Amino acid sequence: MRTQYRLGIDAGGTFTDFVLAERNGNVRLFKVLSTPSDPTRAIRNGLDLITEETGIAAGEIVANSDLCINGTTVGLNALITHRGAKTALIATRGHEDSIEIRLGHKEDGYRYDPEYPPATMLAPRYLRRGVRERVISNGTVHTPLNEDDVRAACRHFLNEGVESVAISFVWSVLHPAHELRAAEIVREMMPDVLLTVGSQLYPQVREYTRTSTAVVNAYLGPILRRYVEAVDAHFAALGARNPVRYFQSNGGLAKGSVVSDQSVYAINSGPASAPQAALYIGEPWDEKNIITIDMGGTSFDITLTRDGKANINKNIDFLRYRIGIPMIQVETLGAGGGSIGWIDEMGLLQMGPQSAGSEPGPACYGQGGEEPTTTDANITLGYLSDEGLVGGRLPLDRDKARQAIRDKLADPLGISVEKAAHGMFTIVNNNMVNGIRRVSVERGYDPRDFVLMGAGGATGAHITALAREIGIRKVLVSKLASGLCAYGQIISDVKYNYMAPAPTRLEGAEAAKKLDTLFGELEARGIADLEADEFTRDRISIRRSLDMRYTGQVHECTVEIEAGSIDEAGLDAIRSAFHARHRELYTYDEPHSAVEVVNIESTIQGHVENPKRMHLAAGKGADTALKGRRPMVFDASGATTDTPVYDGGKLGAGDRVSGPAVIEEVTTTLVIEPGWTADLHESGVYVITSTTAA
Amino acid sequence: MAIPEVDPITLSVVRGVLETTQREMTLALEQTARSSVFNLAHDYSTALFNHTPEMILQGQDIPIHLGSLIPAMKAVDSFFEGDIHEGDLILHNDPDYAGSHIIDTCMYYPVFYQGELVFWTVCKGHLTDIGGPVPAGYNPDAKEIYAEGLRIPPIKIWDRGTPRNDILNMLLTNMRARRDQEGDFNALIGACQVGARNLIALLDKYGKQTVQDCIEVLLDMANRHMSKLIAEVPDGTYSGTAILEDAGHGFGDFEITATVLIEGENCHITIDSPPQIPYFINSYEGNSYSGVYLGLMMFAQLPPPYNEGLYRNVTVDMGPKGTLCNAKSPAPHMNCTTTPMETLTDAVRLAFEKAAPDKVSASWGHANGCNIAGWDTRHDEEYVTMVLASIISGAGATATQDGWHACGPECCFGALTSGDIEMLEHSYPIIIHEYGLMEDSGGAGKHRGGSGTRWQVEPLDSPMTLITFGEGRRIPAMGAAGAKSEMIDKKVGRLELTRDGRTQVITDNVIETIHPGERAANMNPGGGGFGPAFERDPQRVVDDVRNGLVSIEGARRDYGVVISDAQTLQIDAEATSKLRASA
Repeated sequence: MRTQYRLGIDAGGTFTDFVLAERNGNVRLFKVLSTPSDPTRAIRNGLDLITEETGIAAGEIVANSDLCINGTTVGLNALITHRGAKTALIATRGHEDSIEIRLGHKEDGYRYDPEYPPATMLAPRYLRRGVRERVISNGTVHTPLNEDDVRAACRHFLNEGVESVAISFVWSVLHPAHELRAAEIVREMMPDVLLTVGSQLYPQVREYTRTSTAVVNAYLGPILRRYVEAVDAHFAALGARNPVRYFQSNGGLAKGSVVSDQSVYAINSGPASAPQAALYIGEPWDEKNIITIDMGGTSFDITLTRDGKANINKNIDFLRYRIGIPMIQVETLGAGGGSIGWIDEMGLLQMGPQSAGSEPGPACYGQGGEEPTTTDANITLGYLSDEGLVGGRLPLDRDKARQAIRDKLADPLGISVEKAAHGMFTIVNNNMVNGIRRVSVERGYDPRDFVLMGAGGATGAHITALAREIGIRKVLVSKLASGLCAYGQIISDVKYNYMAPAPTRLEGAEAAKKLDTLFGELEARGIADLEADEFTRDRISIRRSLDMRYTGQVHECTVEIEAGSIDEAGLDAIRSAFHARHRELYTYDEPHSAVEVVNIESTIQGHVENPKRMHLAAGKGADTALKGRRPMVFDASGATTDTPVYDGGKLGAGDRVSGPAVIEEVTTTLVIEPGWTADLHESGVYVITSTTAA
Repeated sequence: MAIPEVDPITLSVVRGVLETTQREMTLALEQTARSSVFNLAHDYSTALFNHTPEMILQGQDIPIHLGSLIPAMKAVDSFFEGDIHEGDLILHNDPDYAGSHIIDTCMYYPVFYQGELVFWTVCKGHLTDIGGPVPAGYNPDAKEIYAEGLRIPPIKIWDRGTPRNDILNMLLTNMRARRDQEGDFNALIGACQVGARNLIALLDKYGKQTVQDCIEVLLDMANRHMSKLIAEVPDGTYSGTAILEDAGHGFGDFEITATVLIEGENCHITIDSPPQIPYFINSYEGNSYSGVYLGLMMFAQLPPPYNEGLYRNVTVDMGPKGTLCNAKSPAPHMNCTTTPMETLTDAVRLAFEKAAPDKVSASWGHANGCNIAGWDTRHDEEYVTMVLASIISGAGATATQDGWHACGPECCFGALTSGDIEMLEHSYPIIIHEYGLMEDSGGAGKHRGGSGTRWQVEPLDSPMTLITFGEGRRIPAMGAAGAKSEMIDKKVGRLELTRDGRTQVITDNVIETIHPGERAANMNPGGGGFGPAFERDPQRVVDDVRNGLVSIEGARRDYGVVISDAQTLQIDAEATSKLRASA
């Protein structure tokens, strides 16, 4: 029997989005409130809602879905609230404190702040035990493993009721035997704990990063395991034909058992699907260079794909914990619809990062909020309708918005309410532009070479202004924008990362052979894992990258290369790619300096067939969708322009709207600034282009 | 000076661009540098100046670098008397031109717009070597600055866009580990270019006049902010004296005194220090500015952004020329960015603690570290570096919380990073046997000072020269608001050398040769506590004991908490009340 559906469930901070794609191309979005205290409840509630609205029983949908996909914030929430498992660490004696020393650094921005607290320890000092053992930098054993020390540590942990244990030794990546033997002892003495082994989870050079990654994984593992077991059981009971797939921060899907053992991969998965969705939506125009922005109530997430590949972060501080594994780069700013405008100690107008959240919310919600927010600015500027958001389900009070802006900002600054509102709009946009620089300029890319894609309910009001500010001339916004991440997850592939340390100077036949062999080994493992998961070889693809630097440097740049055998001539090509990347990033290269590889990685993907694309009927001209006019502010002076408003639901394929204009969709409002034109494409995507000369 | 009228929105945007520019300069520098001191340890700083030249944005990098960049930029600018052209690039390190110590090398890049000098992008970084008789520059035997390395007055290394390769070659020829130094020069130059690129885009967008007006307003705002904080302090004279311990020179301990005169919104700081000595702890005036400004920031506790406006209402008299804190040539000075700077900072901090009691945090542990050098047989090349992991001390406790562990030294205030130990062992032929927190090292207090660290090293396969510097081996970090410790010997740093099974404790600055099989452990002090230690919640003392941060003996002696059972960590409540009452 052919399956009829694919179901995606993306849990966010406030809402859990459900996307139900039918084989014929119909796609429907549903939203329920997230339930962080019992995450599976939101899933049950959502399935009930779908049944209520479609009349189809949950069991029927699940049993007729080829895949059910879940992006979860369970790990993220546990890390934010410090409600992970009771976690212990076994380390090389003398190095138990590296995760508490944190390289001796205090985060920038808090240099003289007497109240900024140290990071909470996920494995407190009394649960960190050093054992006698040591491997040195050439991979040889300096001190053999003292097994009694490991046993003593286990006895201590048993007494303390530890639930999860991480093992991480210095240079274990070059000689894993000590860690593996210690792991055997732990399994023997503590069969019930979840065990994380540093050199297996993250086989890359850098002790602090590896240990910290292992500890985060150990801390989250038991929580994810319980969650996955509950979700898997629920879907199995509903008659799911395939195991539930979970979305990971690397932008790919994984089975439940992988997520339980490698929970650190599931840590920030939600927004990591944006690049995949962006590529899919941009496909009809062959767009592969896309910056995606997702503005919700409290935050603004930015991702970037270039040549069809998303920016990857490795070895970064995430919520103050160092994490090594590759994650899709998601730059998150406190710049959402609820971000509050305020005047700082120096007298400067600022926006966020504080947010009015959903309670009390922006002043215009009329729920007692008195602080002026981005949403208040947008309604004052006329961009949002008094009828309110979500098709009128959330009415907005324009007078309350104006009053908050007048009292808190316009009067103190001595300017008009309209000018202050436009100032708020400009500053929040400027914060976003600075965030966009972090994914583009700081990666050596010129953002003007990209198209901008909107996601999230609040983005539409800002998107043409942002594009103008950055110098981008083409913008894409899907009708599904408010559920873009959930949509991205259902069109993603299964993806696993395989890594190895490979300290090698990039010259000579030996080096070529070494890299060739190492990549070969990684990929053989990856292919075997996916074949065991029923992917045939023709559906498996491989991508390779190397972390490289000039000899003597300590930070690497990542360079992607084609799969295939590597010989000496291949090394030349790798070296040239590295010089070019260095120049792109840092304005110069050193063609005569020696180049070395530090770590290598293969990403193995198992391709999942995409559901059919949405198809809109041809429109009858934009005039038929005109629903009214209202005054709007597009100018820093605060002057207003009488502007037409269109009902997006009545626009069809081929319809064109010229700015200034507003297009109101049920879950988002699109502001088309003067100098921009929006064309609705048959795939349900607004193509918005600048009409001014470049 | 009339403050221009500017659009408040444009003002916020300009501020954001300046901060982004500095951030991108910092990233470029860190990612490309060769020496571990730069790229693992963050021992570099970036700043932006306008044409006058006034510092318009101070990066959130190393405090010791940034105070001195203000007079240094002015000294460099006036040296050339207007002979500055588009495409010039200036290098400088000399303390006679307000450099800090000569191993900190500065690059100054003038940014021209439509033919006119508008900005300077500036970087400073600690190289691993600057020539001279002792690798890494720290020479405890130096009697004059000439015995410390190469003095470089302001010189152009690019002249109207053309690199002066003869000059660069001359400089690099005089330095050890040339490849690293050359790579670090490139990194500094690259960062200046990144900064210039951004500033020109800003000028293109808003025009020169608007940008300059906004910057004038930003300087004024910072000035008003600091003035307001000063005005909140009662008028009067407040004085603080800190003791600088004799770390091997034989001249005895010294006193450094700071006198802070507050009059309305103005503040005048006078420094008294003894005559300079023929030992590497003299501080020239530029460097001393960093120490004074850090003491001021420990009072002001301001969030970013930082610019020179902060200091407009603050005047400083560094004392007569030829004194320890206002040295004159040829005083040796290499240790100055830590010693005597941290004692100078403490004196200023203490004066402000008297002016604003219960606000100012405790002192941080002082730097007491080492440099290493030798031959790397793995690549058949020499190596030399300062080991930043060897100077990581504890932070001072504050009015609201315990001090951070392993966050110092005071002169760096958490801006350093000590580097991953595998990367250090990869870069240098060493084995790091230990890098951990030390029991009982945090200053006792109602809020405990952060713990100091112990770093133990052994050379891999060939002898290694180890040169120590700093102090804080006898006098612990100063507590605040009545905090003091009983177990002083645990709160201070030292060097322990283990040879043939015997351990020697060294508290002077020395040059030692360490052979494979021998070990050197460098210990760094903890931070000072805040408030009376006997007022600390006994349960928190027990938590510290459980975590091995305080010993059972330390609980009793430092905190008056008697733990009756070493296994369960049960408190003897009666004995504890009695002991605490007796204090």
